[in-house]
Amino acid sequence: MTSERSIVYQEEAFVLHGIPWKETSMIVEVLTAHHGRVPLVAKGVRRPRSALRGLLQPFQPLMINWFGQGELRTLRTAEWQGGIPLLQGHALFCGFYLNELLMLLLKRDDPHEALFLEYKQALKKLTHVELFEPVLRVFELALLRELGYAPSLEHEVVSGEPVDPHRTYRFDPENGAVQWNGSTGPDVVKFKGKTLLDMAKSNYDDPGTLAQGKQLMRILLSHQLGHQDLHSRRIIQELLLS
Amino acid sequence: MSSASSTLDELTQALRCLPGVGPKSAQRMAFHLLHRDRQGAERLLLSLAQALEHLRHCDQCNNFTEQAVCELCSSGNRDARLLCVLESPADMLMMEQTHAYQGLYYVLMGRLSPLDGIGPQEIGFDRLIQRACNGSTEEVILATNFTAEGEATAHALGVLLRAKGLRVSRIARGIPVGGELEYVDSGTLAQALLERRPATN
Repeated sequence: MTSERSIVYQEEAFVLHGIPWKETSMIVEVLTAHHGRVPLVAKGVRRPRSALRGLLQPFQPLMINWFGQGELRTLRTAEWQGGIPLLQGHALFCGFYLNELLMLLLKRDDPHEALFLEYKQALKKLTHVELFEPVLRVFELALLRELGYAPSLEHEVVSGEPVDPHRTYRFDPENGAVQWNGSTGPDVVKFKGKTLLDMAKSNYDDPGTLAQGKQLMRILLSHQLGHQDLHSRRIIQELLLS
Repeated sequence: MSSASSTLDELTQALRCLPGVGPKSAQRMAFHLLHRDRQGAERLLLSLAQALEHLRHCDQCNNFTEQAVCELCSSGNRDARLLCVLESPADMLMMEQTHAYQGLYYVLMGRLSPLDGIGPQEIGFDRLIQRACNGSTEEVILATNFTAEGEATAHALGVLLRAKGLRVSRIARGIPVGGELEYVDSGTLAQALLERRPATN
């Protein structure tokens, strides 16, 4: 392991998840711009008078220092950065959903600066937008693209031709858009060309795009997640139904 | 790992079920109980068995009690119009120490934690809703923690309880009593500013 990995100074980070560890410590998974997802031990942070108690909360930008060489490194300091109001209400649940996606799909120590910025942007938007779904769709697609799991939305796979907004396509999670051949059945999900093009431009103004986009992202995500269930999605649904 | 016997092994393994107890601490506890404090071990054994047999959740507030309804809930001199919702029994003790609250309680014994798969069903939201809709409750005070999970819990409960026609409030957050701005953490100060209220005389 390289020596520069042993100490990291002044890295902007978000806590994705924290679990209590030993008597007074916590293990937090943080998302950083230059080091990706990193697990850190926050020693003594659960003591009543710990300066960091209450600081290591999700959805708040922190500036942190850490050290260590193994997989689990040690948090040294964390400072509150501010700039993003606390998420409230339903936005909080959307935030948990984003965090869960990152915990499941992003490997540790795999830096994606663009993804970090997308995440920060999504959190900022969640604090004030009225419609949360477009924010979630944009982030989901950015996540899959950044990890190399998202096929092109703008070109048909077989012919390589640009997607025609007026045509109908099927979407294969491995390869991408395939022109719909008229087949039907429970497994055949069709998408309008316009939906795919709108999504490529992160434009969800059209309610049709929003509805189909959700369906498409569901297919792409479950292809990557396999048998793993998203707890946050289940909980949001349970709350909406109750 | 070499060990004296499988009985000892079993004991250390059993002690590890306690939060914050790893293999080393468990071993230390086991040796201590067996060698230094056998009387203490007997007492632990008895009280644990007693607790397991006799303690249950109060039908009203969900806190631990030996009766169907705990002393506080059945005392009669509490204000039944107020119901304060808390995450843990420790929170309730703290609340009682304030001597500022005369209403009743409901202890959730947890909080929503979406990433850990703890949702409304796991927490038993329906039991709280049932309790709050017993006819005498007028206001539900949500006093879950000001963590992301505690806030999420309060929000979800707020939506459900308001839908039942109940008045719902959330405990206030801000600068602590005796707090000096210079020494308050920035996150708290920022939130206190966002949640400022009209100054009254």
